[in-house]
Amino acid sequence: MNRTFSQKIKCFVTSWEMVLLCLLVAECVIFGAANPKFLKPALLFNSMNDFMSICIISLFVTFVMITGGIDIQAGSIVGLTSIIIGVTWQDYGCNIWVSVLIAVAAAALCGALSGFFIAYCGVQAMVVTLGGQFLYAGVALLVSNLASTASYQGISGFPEDFRVLAKTKFFGIVPSQLVVFLILVVIAYILLHRTKYGRKIFLVGVNPEAASYSGINYKRVIMSTYVLSAISASIAGIVLTSYLGSAKSDLGSNFTLNIITAVVLGGTLSTGGKGNVIGTALASMVIGLLRFGLPLCFKIGTQYLDIPVGILLLAVVLGRAAAGHPRIVNLKARLKRSKPA
Amino acid sequence: MKKILKARELSSFLFLVVLFLIVGILNPSFLTAGNIIACFNDSVVYIIVSVGMAFAIFIGEIDVSVGANLGFTATVVGCMLRDGQNWAVAFLTGILIGAAIGLFNGWGVAVMNVPSLIFTLGTNGVMRGMMYVYTGGAWVENLPAEFKQLYTMPLAGSITVSFTVTAVIVVVVHLLLKHTKRGRYFIAVGDNPAGATLVGIPAVRTKVVAYVVCGIFAAVSGIVFSSRVGFVTATSGNGYEMKAVAACVLGGISLSGGVGSVIGASIGAVIMASISRLLVFMELGSTYDNTITGVMLLAIVVVDALMQRRTAEMNRRQRLAARTGSADFGKGGNA
Amino acid sequence: MPEKALLNIKNIYKSFGMNAVLKGISLDLNEGEVLALIGGNGAGKSTLMKIIMGIYQHDSGEIYVKGEKVTSNKTSAALASGIYMVPQEPLLFPNMSVEENIEIGFNQKKSELHKELLELMRDVGWNLDLNRKASSLSIAEQQMVEILRGLLRRAQILILDEPTSALAFDEVESLFACVEDLKSKGIGIIYITHRLAEVFQIATDVAIMRDGRVPVRGKVSEFTREMLVKGLLPPDAQEKENSLKARMKGVDYEHLKPVFEIQNLSGYGFSDISLKVYPGEILGMAGVVGAGRTELATTVFGKDKVLSGRVLLDGKDITGLSTRQVIEAGLNYVPEDRHLHGLFKISDIAANTSSAMLEKKEMGRFFLNKKAECEMTQKYVDDFRIKVTGQDQLAGSLSGGNQQKVVIGRSLSTSPKLVILDEPTRGIDAAARGDVYSIIHELREQGVAVLLISSDMEEIIELSDRVMTVCQGRINGEFAGTDINQDTLMSASFGITKHSEVGA
Repeated sequence: MNRTFSQKIKCFVTSWEMVLLCLLVAECVIFGAANPKFLKPALLFNSMNDFMSICIISLFVTFVMITGGIDIQAGSIVGLTSIIIGVTWQDYGCNIWVSVLIAVAAAALCGALSGFFIAYCGVQAMVVTLGGQFLYAGVALLVSNLASTASYQGISGFPEDFRVLAKTKFFGIVPSQLVVFLILVVIAYILLHRTKYGRKIFLVGVNPEAASYSGINYKRVIMSTYVLSAISASIAGIVLTSYLGSAKSDLGSNFTLNIITAVVLGGTLSTGGKGNVIGTALASMVIGLLRFGLPLCFKIGTQYLDIPVGILLLAVVLGRAAAGHPRIVNLKARLKRSKPA
Repeated sequence: MKKILKARELSSFLFLVVLFLIVGILNPSFLTAGNIIACFNDSVVYIIVSVGMAFAIFIGEIDVSVGANLGFTATVVGCMLRDGQNWAVAFLTGILIGAAIGLFNGWGVAVMNVPSLIFTLGTNGVMRGMMYVYTGGAWVENLPAEFKQLYTMPLAGSITVSFTVTAVIVVVVHLLLKHTKRGRYFIAVGDNPAGATLVGIPAVRTKVVAYVVCGIFAAVSGIVFSSRVGFVTATSGNGYEMKAVAACVLGGISLSGGVGSVIGASIGAVIMASISRLLVFMELGSTYDNTITGVMLLAIVVVDALMQRRTAEMNRRQRLAARTGSADFGKGGNA
Repeated sequence: MPEKALLNIKNIYKSFGMNAVLKGISLDLNEGEVLALIGGNGAGKSTLMKIIMGIYQHDSGEIYVKGEKVTSNKTSAALASGIYMVPQEPLLFPNMSVEENIEIGFNQKKSELHKELLELMRDVGWNLDLNRKASSLSIAEQQMVEILRGLLRRAQILILDEPTSALAFDEVESLFACVEDLKSKGIGIIYITHRLAEVFQIATDVAIMRDGRVPVRGKVSEFTREMLVKGLLPPDAQEKENSLKARMKGVDYEHLKPVFEIQNLSGYGFSDISLKVYPGEILGMAGVVGAGRTELATTVFGKDKVLSGRVLLDGKDITGLSTRQVIEAGLNYVPEDRHLHGLFKISDIAANTSSAMLEKKEMGRFFLNKKAECEMTQKYVDDFRIKVTGQDQLAGSLSGGNQQKVVIGRSLSTSPKLVILDEPTRGIDAAARGDVYSIIHELREQGVAVLLISSDMEEIIELSDRVMTVCQGRINGEFAGTDINQDTLMSASFGITKHSEVGA
């Protein structure tokens, strides 16, 4: 049943990932032509620090969306993680790595709570994660009140070995955030596409009823995806805190649109059942470069960046909807039939 | 049994009263007519945007673009007023913008069948960016003084005209929804889409109209917002979509559609708008705002979902039990 | 004809994709007639009704309402011309009051409607609290609301789709009284049912639908039960039976211990069921749709609550275990609704086949053993002659028969001691049906016990060693050897138990 090498190549060339790769190259060419500075490796790599958190979270929100759910709370967990690290370290005298562990555990707990409501109580994922967004952002604010410094200032002055986490540059140029991202891509890829757990995620997304008739505990699978996405948000929070050198409760509050766009653009069906990690990774890079290139090369203010991202999201969902619309499908079928005649 | 429907709004209202009383017990200085009226006066923007959101939720969908819609309309109308444009023209432009955004959302969701959250999230991003494009990120200031006074203009005592007009509009919309043929379509489509088709209700058209109404309400709230605040920033309206959803849920509207009323949404909006004031009187500060909203939202939707599932399960079992002829099961189970 | 014709249907054809459902239906309904429409599953009854209601569009043919040709195929047009359908599962608005439910979609003033509704209810003699919420109504009451809705719309043609399937005995009585009343008012009623007794109780006319056609229609007085039963059977049924019986070889009941046993099991939709299945035996379970067989199977499979009784598999008590544990214990189930409960349509065939094995070590401990999956899938693709372009073909793009083989393959992958097959050949073509039959025979050879649930009597007869019939949630007959024939099974399934001995 193994396909030949040439078949594999052919399959890859016609895949959606290839389209995304072309988009990435096109971005590089266009931005590079408009402003050659864009292609300076040091600048390009440095720019990645600004959007790596989105890439990291998108990877695991992909899991959630494959099960047919949605996660709009991940952004608020970034801020929660960040502030928990800051407060436990600064005001409760924890070792910085203990603080990090506490923050990850808290994030996992938040994910588990939302996941529980969604999987076991049958509440729509959208509503629960909406409430979660309020709740976790609110808790982050409360935690920041425990700090001796004012919340708008953030907590800074972290020890050097924590700062190193995001400051290290491999080979003098590759930022450690990118390395973290690539490691997570590998982990997510293996988890989703190579393990039994990953297979269950897909099956649950395609048809939860059929999955349960196959003896799969679909509720547990659904809940676990929210835990994973919360943990990925906490990792993004850790890296971001380390990179910025200060802990703030409102980090990540405007990530939602970018995350969802990255996942949907990456080829994940908004109705669940289909999607892949590589697609999401590429799509998040497409969005990231867009957010870096437009201001640099076309002098577009960073505040405007929601427009292209929003349009991208609308274009992708509308395009997919149109392709699956009964009228278009009928038309296609008619064209196909009329061709041989 | 009609009371059950009413009870959902009533319990929201009681919740509001209890909330006021608790705060009053903790801090007696809160319980003055002035404070309570201020809570209502302050909630006009929330009420209008929540009533619009209620339409989207009635039909079983959601619209998270109302925040950007509100902000964009406020920006455009604010600019026109600042530049001395005729008020009527400015307001009409704002409303048309809102209707257009609503129409676009309705087309995407009802005609193209895109999941509503994702589609309106995209619209939200685009409109938010458009606000920057329109103003270049600058604040819209120096609105005419008369316009700024519009919001606080008193009617009788400290009750404002704006609140009174809003209250009247809410009641009128409520009556239209309950007592006209087409008004009931919104609830019907959300309650049982298959059943709605069977009695000849045009489901797609009803959904599009619901989104247009939602867009218009968001636009009106944008105009009121600019009058109230007196200036418009590039982030105006941020987060209103979430507050509006929370207000609807607090007001007893079910997010699966088909349940609730705009009166409920308005009561929910008053609760949402009052929380920060209440927190001040409880000496907690506004930092608790989001936490409390989140907890209330989650608690209500989880309880609601569990109860609904229980009812559905009961009905199914009763139906199955009836087949075997063991008719005594589930009879009279409608207490 | 003395009566005035309300509805004429002429030569209606309808197919879904390649699947022809209606093959030239002609039917008419006159004032004051109650036309009982009977037929097996998949005969096309509900498709026909949906076409009359304007929910589906027919491919060719004509429909006349009160002599006028129907040109527009919209539900609102059908409603306007006085047709109303009470669906099998009432489609009320659960969160509205009874009154709101009935009056929705009218142009008149509310007060007028209210007056009219009260008059109507007095006329019919029903007492319903109009302010109650629809979700609090019993099924019978919901049906009453639906009928009132139809009457208030001045419906001349009322379609009742298996109205008694969810009703208790006394509720049936009151429904019948209402139907009698409507009949006397000149309203034409199409009454779809699975219960032959009802035909004689309230219908004036009867039509049998089979395989997308109406081979029999006439006055009820011209028919006997036996004639109806015969009409439901395919014309060549008799000959087939004899040739098939010869192939059967007996099961050695005396020396075998039952591998699967149900003792006085009650649950939602069935009551007091007892049965035994022996290794290498195929136990057929006949009955009509809604008799409670699927509910029995899914409850045993851990999908619903057991009210009382026990289930034993190989001596081990598996009552009330979770689906995963039941599969682990050695039982598997091929669901009745392949699309809803069986298939992962946008997943490939390998993923579909291996889904029940994910909990087992053969598929790897943590990582998915793709090689094992591939081998297993290939084995079933080869053994069952599943026509695929490759293992990566999506299950949704297969034909119905091949989809069903994939689902069966999955349920056998866990090497169960007992397989419950629920309508294993519904909606699949003849060739695939033959393949499924040989799979079942093969299982029998291997000593696997099979519980075969089917509404297709031919199928039951061809495959089963022993047959039990289920009617209204209870076992009402057990047949073996020569007693297994179309007549006895059909009669028992429809609740006519004159030739059968009850017992297990």
